Amino acid sequence: MKMLVRLLTRIRNFAAGRSGDARLREEIEQHLAMQSEANVRGGMLPEEARRQARLKLGALEAARERYHAEEGLPIVENLLQDLRYACRQLRKSPGFATVAVLSLGLGIGANTAIFSLIDAVLLRDLPVESPKQLVLFGRGRWVGSVDEMPHKSWDLFSYPFFREFSSRNNVYSGIAAVDSIEFGTHASFDGGAMWLSRIDLVSGNFFDVLGVPAALGRTLTSEDDVAPGSGPVAVASYGWWVRHGRLPSVLGKTVRIESATYTIVGIARQGFFGTTVGQSPDFWIPLSMEKEISPGWNGVNDKDFQSLYLIARRKPGVSMVQASAATNALFRQIIRSEYLGASPSQKDLVSLSHAQIELTPAARGLSQLRLQIALPLEILMAVVMIVLLIACVNIANLLLARGVVRSREIAVRLALGASRSRVVAQLLTESALLAVAGAALGTALSWKAGALLLHLASGQAQPVPVDASPDLQVLLFTSLLTVCATMLFGLAPALGTTGGICVLSLQEGRGALSAPMRNRLGRTLVITQIALSLALLSGAGLFLHSLLRLTDVNTGFNARKVLVFGLDEYAAGYKQDARLAGLQQQIEDSVQALPGVRAAAFSMFTFNEGEWSDPVIVRGVPRDAENGHDVLYNVVGDEYFKTFGLPILAGRVFTPQDNQHAPLVAIINETMAKRFFPGASPIGHHFGIGNDPSHSGDIEIIGVAKDAKYTTLSEQPQLAAYFPWTQHLQYFSNFSVRYSGEPGPVISEVRNSIARINPRVMVSDVSTLAAQVRASIGNQQLIAQLSAFFSFAATLLVCIGIYGLMSHAVARRTREIGVRIALGADRINVQWMVLREILGLIGMGLLIGIPLALIGANLVVKLENPNLLSRVLYRTGPFDPASMIVALLLLIVVPSLAGLLPARRASRVDPIVALRDE
Amino acid sequence: MVLWHSPVGKPNGDGTVLIRMKQKKDVQQGTLALMVLKTLDVLGPQHGYGIARRIEQISGDVLGVNQGTLYPVLLRLEQEGAVVSGWGPSENNRRARFYRLTRAGRKLLDAEKRDWEQTAAIIARFFEVKAEDLA
Repeated sequence: MKMLVRLLTRIRNFAAGRSGDARLREEIEQHLAMQSEANVRGGMLPEEARRQARLKLGALEAARERYHAEEGLPIVENLLQDLRYACRQLRKSPGFATVAVLSLGLGIGANTAIFSLIDAVLLRDLPVESPKQLVLFGRGRWVGSVDEMPHKSWDLFSYPFFREFSSRNNVYSGIAAVDSIEFGTHASFDGGAMWLSRIDLVSGNFFDVLGVPAALGRTLTSEDDVAPGSGPVAVASYGWWVRHGRLPSVLGKTVRIESATYTIVGIARQGFFGTTVGQSPDFWIPLSMEKEISPGWNGVNDKDFQSLYLIARRKPGVSMVQASAATNALFRQIIRSEYLGASPSQKDLVSLSHAQIELTPAARGLSQLRLQIALPLEILMAVVMIVLLIACVNIANLLLARGVVRSREIAVRLALGASRSRVVAQLLTESALLAVAGAALGTALSWKAGALLLHLASGQAQPVPVDASPDLQVLLFTSLLTVCATMLFGLAPALGTTGGICVLSLQEGRGALSAPMRNRLGRTLVITQIALSLALLSGAGLFLHSLLRLTDVNTGFNARKVLVFGLDEYAAGYKQDARLAGLQQQIEDSVQALPGVRAAAFSMFTFNEGEWSDPVIVRGVPRDAENGHDVLYNVVGDEYFKTFGLPILAGRVFTPQDNQHAPLVAIINETMAKRFFPGASPIGHHFGIGNDPSHSGDIEIIGVAKDAKYTTLSEQPQLAAYFPWTQHLQYFSNFSVRYSGEPGPVISEVRNSIARINPRVMVSDVSTLAAQVRASIGNQQLIAQLSAFFSFAATLLVCIGIYGLMSHAVARRTREIGVRIALGADRINVQWMVLREILGLIGMGLLIGIPLALIGANLVVKLENPNLLSRVLYRTGPFDPASMIVALLLLIVVPSLAGLLPARRASRVDPIVALRDE
Repeated sequence: MVLWHSPVGKPNGDGTVLIRMKQKKDVQQGTLALMVLKTLDVLGPQHGYGIARRIEQISGDVLGVNQGTLYPVLLRLEQEGAVVSGWGPSENNRRARFYRLTRAGRKLLDAEKRDWEQTAAIIARFFEVKAEDLA
């Protein structure tokens, strides 16, 4: 209490700038007067009386200082004083200040940018009620639909299973379902133009389970999700609402999506982007409308149509283990009774015994983006941390060199009565000032960098809707980083310079300063820098080498001069029937006839767009371990092979005669031909999709196409088969065009041509096949480029460090060098003497760096998820001699060049001047 | 308070001198505050000079040449609420700042006094102890 009252008074005095100096002066004056009077009364002469009074009062200034210290906040005052002093000091050496602030800015900025991404994608909880209670059934790795019963861990579930499970469970207070696919389709608001919109299909209780209220109107309810077609309502996202003028009157208005009309009943709370990080739907629509949104998705009553993610909220007090046990028990019961029938086969029972639901915490939502980008982000985080470390070490080194120069100043200050802690505080204030300036620069640099990096990494044309703006957590991180950096680079030099034993030079002259300790610290710092840089450079080399190998991969198809149009034929309003086929035929025909177009075809997939896969059963070829693998299927137009530049090695391509009335045909790839028909021609043979031998005669093989890459560049040769689109009617979204000449006119011609045929068919985006190939390795490219950039920055910092250390060493040894030269050492000798020292440092650094680099690379390899499609390292082991040699050479040559300048300066020392300097 | 001892190191061969730093704690601060409180308690409102003179009379030469240190202590006590101060005429019609003990100050004095007596009693007992008493 006493303390508090006193503190408050002090703060008040400090804030008001109030000073009791005048009062003290008067008090002292009166004191002296009274004492003098007393002295005079005691018989002294007035002069002497005054003098004695003064003597009795003691050191007036000291008392005044103490008085002042009692009065205000001395800590804060000292700090302000230190800050002013630090500013002056830094202004006196602008070169040092610039280098320090720039390198810290780079380090802290890079860290903030990467961390804000990690925070947004990997760390942040969903903005829902008690997110820690949420669990996801499965791990959310798959997107789409599965119709078979997996015999492992389940990720996707059917609507009937969801209903059944929800009604019988007793460990969850609610279970919500959300379709694993975010639907992209065209929607017209209030009779306006059609816009590409993103739609999440969710169960009616979705918002209730998550605890997300409406910002306006209501959210969905269970009544919206009773029977197929029963809930033509939509909840719009806050972002969508803002884009549409933020008017309360949107409630009750309608949105037309495909062939159905939905009433907007509410707007979801601001900041809620759904449960998948990296997506941001415009509308949430009840699952009861699944068929209306996407006719192919008619799973509400189909227990074999498994396409939903299930997110459940644990009841309070139910642990993860209890929830998991209860979930799996009920899961087995339901599968047993609903799926396997009365007398399940032995095989099904074995299958069931392996099947399980792996519960994962869903507090942070689910995200394919996260799976895809977690390791790259972690690698980059490590890289930028190391860069910051190197920057700190560098500044520590420079400060140390400055400390030597300033040692006399500091010694004088200590001798004049400053306490060591006070001097250390002052030196640290200088460091903190540098760090804060660096942090400000870094934060400014990183402001938009996070979103940009994410955009680059995801390789998508549109920015990924992730909220990567710095939040409290990021600011905390940056502040912490700044404090750590200050301590890291400021404390050691500050303690070193003030030392328990203060070295005070009595003699003028540099030669007298012997400070082996300090020198050793500087050397250690440079060696550390070199070792860390080697790890960075060789790591960057590893990623670059892997990227080079990836870009070198032969895709099999010719990606040059191919445009890929995103079409939405569904908007034309046709069912999957002859009219749709007619429309597609018309589009193909008219585009193929355009000038500049050499070939054009619809296809289910182009490249890196996912897969439709199943094993095949081939007539006359028994199943074995080798040929039981999944085959990738694609449904393509007649001119697909010409468009993609895929040679047909045997047989023929599809023709219009391969229609619905003709026998089913397929073209298979080389690998499939070799696997099933080694040494023989597959033409004329038959196969069927799936495992049922009775279907093995379904499809006739009419051709063999050259192998290609289908889902990723890094994939192994895959079994693949193509079907003619005339025999597999469906909506495509890909329409590829091989052109000659300039792409510009071709794009507008194609757009016009499609608009003439049916203006309702939307052309949403145009990209190129080459861009799709590039985007598929966006991740690897990002890591390679950023790590290369940062490791070069680190090398530059090392050069600055070596230059600083050696210039200072040369300056210190001017006299010694002068003596050597006077005694007859030639200039080359002197240069070599300095260079030898540099090479020694580099050698030590590299020796330590090599194992460090190998450990780092091994860690990356170990952390990499082998199941992931796009891996960080492609056909590159942790030890890559080429990148290691390049890194070693770089680190020997470049820092040596940096050391050459001080070495030359040393050789130019004039012995007369050097000796006279003493 | 930082006090500097004269250099105790010996000159190094290379012409440098080692200086060791030592800090001496200011042991009088608490004692001085207690004396101030007690003086005000006995004499009633008093100005700085009066307090100093009184302490000098009683304590002999504790304050010695440093009467000035009294003022920071008075300020501190005032900020703690133990004393209040105001300008007033001194005995020979000078303007002087008078300090008066508050109720909180009296409480503080009592507490400090108890503490001090306790400490003194314990220390006194230690000094009285002889070797045979502990046997």
